[in-house]
Amino acid sequence: MNKPKDFFFPQRPQPRKRSKIRVSSKLRSIQLIIMLTFTAVTVAVAVIVSIMLYGKFARTAEENANLNMQQIIEQVNYNLELYVKGMSSIFETAEQQITTSESIDSPLLYERMDTLMSSREDLVSMAMFTPQGQYVVGTPGQRMRLNTQLESQSWFTTAKRTSEISYSAPHIQNLFKGKYTWVVSISKMIQYMEHGELKTGILLLDFNFRTIDELSKQVKLGKRGYAYILDPLGNIVYHPQQQLIYAGLKYENVEPVLEYAFRSYLDESTGEKRFITVRTLAQTGWKIVGVAYYDEIVTTKRDLNQFLAWFLAVVLVCVIAVSVLLSWLIASPIRKLERTVKQVGEGDLNTPINVSGAYEVEQLSKRFNMMLQRIRQLMDQIIYEQETKRKGELEVLQSQINPHFLYNTLNSVIRLAERGKTDEVVTMIQSLSKFFRISLSKGKNFITMQEELDHIRHYLVIQSFRFKNKFRYEINAQEEVLQYQTIKLILQPIVENALYHGIEMLPDEGLISISAVLQEGLVVIRISDNGLGMSKETMNVLLSGGVKSEGGSGVGVRNVNERIGLYYGREYGLTFESELEEGTTVTIIFPARLTEEAPEAKKEETDL
Amino acid sequence: MKSIRFWLTLLLCSVLWVSVSSCFNSSPAYISTNKTRNIHLIVKMNKGDYWNTVKLGAEAAAKEFNVKLTFKAPDSESDIDEQVTMVEDSIKEKADVIILAASSYMGLAQVVDQAAYSKIPVISVDAEVGSARVQTYVGSNGYEAGQKSAERLIQLLNGYGEIGIVNFTNASVNTGNTSSGSTGSIDFGARDADEREKGFLNYAARYTNVKVVQISYTSSSTADAEALTREMVANHPNLRGIATLNEIASQGAAKVIQNSGLDNIKMVAFDSSPSMMELLQEGTVQATVIQNPFSNGYLAVKYAVEALEGVAVPERVDTGTKLIDLENMLWPENQKLLFPFVR
Repeated sequence: MNKPKDFFFPQRPQPRKRSKIRVSSKLRSIQLIIMLTFTAVTVAVAVIVSIMLYGKFARTAEENANLNMQQIIEQVNYNLELYVKGMSSIFETAEQQITTSESIDSPLLYERMDTLMSSREDLVSMAMFTPQGQYVVGTPGQRMRLNTQLESQSWFTTAKRTSEISYSAPHIQNLFKGKYTWVVSISKMIQYMEHGELKTGILLLDFNFRTIDELSKQVKLGKRGYAYILDPLGNIVYHPQQQLIYAGLKYENVEPVLEYAFRSYLDESTGEKRFITVRTLAQTGWKIVGVAYYDEIVTTKRDLNQFLAWFLAVVLVCVIAVSVLLSWLIASPIRKLERTVKQVGEGDLNTPINVSGAYEVEQLSKRFNMMLQRIRQLMDQIIYEQETKRKGELEVLQSQINPHFLYNTLNSVIRLAERGKTDEVVTMIQSLSKFFRISLSKGKNFITMQEELDHIRHYLVIQSFRFKNKFRYEINAQEEVLQYQTIKLILQPIVENALYHGIEMLPDEGLISISAVLQEGLVVIRISDNGLGMSKETMNVLLSGGVKSEGGSGVGVRNVNERIGLYYGREYGLTFESELEEGTTVTIIFPARLTEEAPEAKKEETDL
Repeated sequence: MKSIRFWLTLLLCSVLWVSVSSCFNSSPAYISTNKTRNIHLIVKMNKGDYWNTVKLGAEAAAKEFNVKLTFKAPDSESDIDEQVTMVEDSIKEKADVIILAASSYMGLAQVVDQAAYSKIPVISVDAEVGSARVQTYVGSNGYEAGQKSAERLIQLLNGYGEIGIVNFTNASVNTGNTSSGSTGSIDFGARDADEREKGFLNYAARYTNVKVVQISYTSSSTADAEALTREMVANHPNLRGIATLNEIASQGAAKVIQNSGLDNIKMVAFDSSPSMMELLQEGTVQATVIQNPFSNGYLAVKYAVEALEGVAVPERVDTGTKLIDLENMLWPENQKLLFPFVR
């Protein structure tokens, strides 16, 4: 198997080099590439999608929160507006009653004012004063305190200044005995009749924060968010932590609020990000300010953040798991295929390749297998064809022996005939005729040793005529050996060689002795001459076919060797022993076989 | 197989990294209100507008900082033993912080040390306590308050005349209980009472024509204060001015003046209950020194929470005092201080 391997894979990788490649190629393995690419791409996509989703969701969450907050504040604004309107209408009713009353001290007016007062729980007091600050009428009818300083209070001074309804900042109601209450006052200068006289008075309506508180409590802006109310001057009308503000423990950044009537913005004055939404009440100019903590709104954002983190983690886990599995599924048959192919590459053409797996791999394996089969077939065929070709060539050569020899021999016969040596001519022609009969042997390649020895004998007889008894010859064969098969005409080229190169130039008489024996199942034929002998180089050249005997059969010694090798195997063939001036011995060794051809040959002989 | 293990390790690491990193971005900037804290507020007395306002402030802070507030107070300011028991109970109940308005500077010192020993921070409010283990003091400067009171009263009296003082929980009242103790009687008074008195007397001492003729100590009831005032007025017919150094004393004394029609006696009161405001407006009382009870309560709880959070709290928080009279009582900024915003 050595030859085909070298023939087909002349550049087979060296084992050492291969191991080096294996180390670095680990990183280039299909599994790793698939896994890394798959993971990288999927994770990248997941991350990009997450980031985009996050951005989008976060923005939407922010916008929604903002919108939501605006709606809530709008709602509060609306409710508060309704409430203030309600208060103004109560005030207007009271005003109407006072102005339409014939006299300010009529019991009917008291009664009506009482009814009005009791209509709402958050009304604290209602009273009318003269522009000088004298109490005229009021309900509930409590005693006034001393030192009220009402002339300097804002509701009084504002009412005196304008003819519109005015709303005060929150203040303490200190007019009547009993309680100090935080109130917002509505006041206006009105006309009333007293004892038939038209007079000017200032009507005051105080209400507490009960409803405003309730309205503001409805505001849910996250956990910590709240709403507060500012008056147009920046005084805090209502704040869920009013007492803290009043005690100076908390502050609201009211300056940016006061600038606009309607806005939403992000405030960071307290160090925390807060969404501020401002709406303004039409009648009072009060501003409702919604405060929402950014990071609470952004809870959605944080939730999203966390969700995405988990999502990514899960994706990563899944992707890696899937990619490991997938790449393994894809790569393992390929690896197996690769291993098998490597084995094939190392020369084991009989390795079966049956890798199952992906369709492509399976097909590849199948195709490869088929290819391998084909290679094997082709190799066999090539070997067969080569041998056939060589045999053919040899047969052609073999067939060339005869005409050349015939020509020489006939020349000799003619010379003998001219000299009138009839007996010798007869002997020669006889030998020649037998020689050719054996040469022909019905075209068979194999003949018996008997025939082969006869053949050479005839040849020697003929040659001894040509060489004028320049040599003697002897043929000794064991009886057993004669029946064995031999390739036809293997002795002639050797003897020819011995004659032309060994003996022809010899001054003395030459001797060619041929012996054939059976040795351990082998036929051993020795052809010895006492000729000139050969140098080692010549012997080597002989077998490689460099020398062609001049005037010889044309069939070289090498061809004998090749033929034996072809038919019996390379281990059989010729060996030379030669010494200059001493002679040469050629030994032919091939297995002793009694094939079917032997009886055939015998039969032929009997035919003769 | 090896490569698969490698990838699993990598995976685990990345999952770990993701979960750890997601934990980082959630630390709040404000005081964490996720945990409910148990804070015990122990004040001098369970009645009176003053302590009620302290409680209101504390409750506002408790609501804001997610604190479970336990409010405790004895019936009387002089009931020092009861207050000591309350602190002991709070230690047993494993309060997270104890906020204490000590009725006695020395009387509660030991129990405060004990609380500190039990790793319970103590914050004193309104009145200090004689322990170095107190985290912070939130309250007004009593000495300064006393001086303000004296300044106004002497001004009202045009710089001459006899003055009587009605103060509270001096050890002299308690000498009966602690007679055997070798510690001086002064040690067992409330720190704020002592400071106010000291401030007043030190200021008054500058005026040779002004004479503090009597200092009475009320335990903690208006009736007691009334009786003491009546006694004082009777004993000193030439009395031109009275200074009262806490809410209960002020109310008792003012009642006597109002009911007896003693218009010639000028009075500078202490603290700002609504009834005191009414007396001020009616002219019975000429001025009152006010503190910031709401802020005291609020800030005490706030600093308690901050102390628990490990935030460094100031050693002393002066919430200030102010002198209020008829003229300035209705100024908006004073309205806000004087009248708690009750909805």
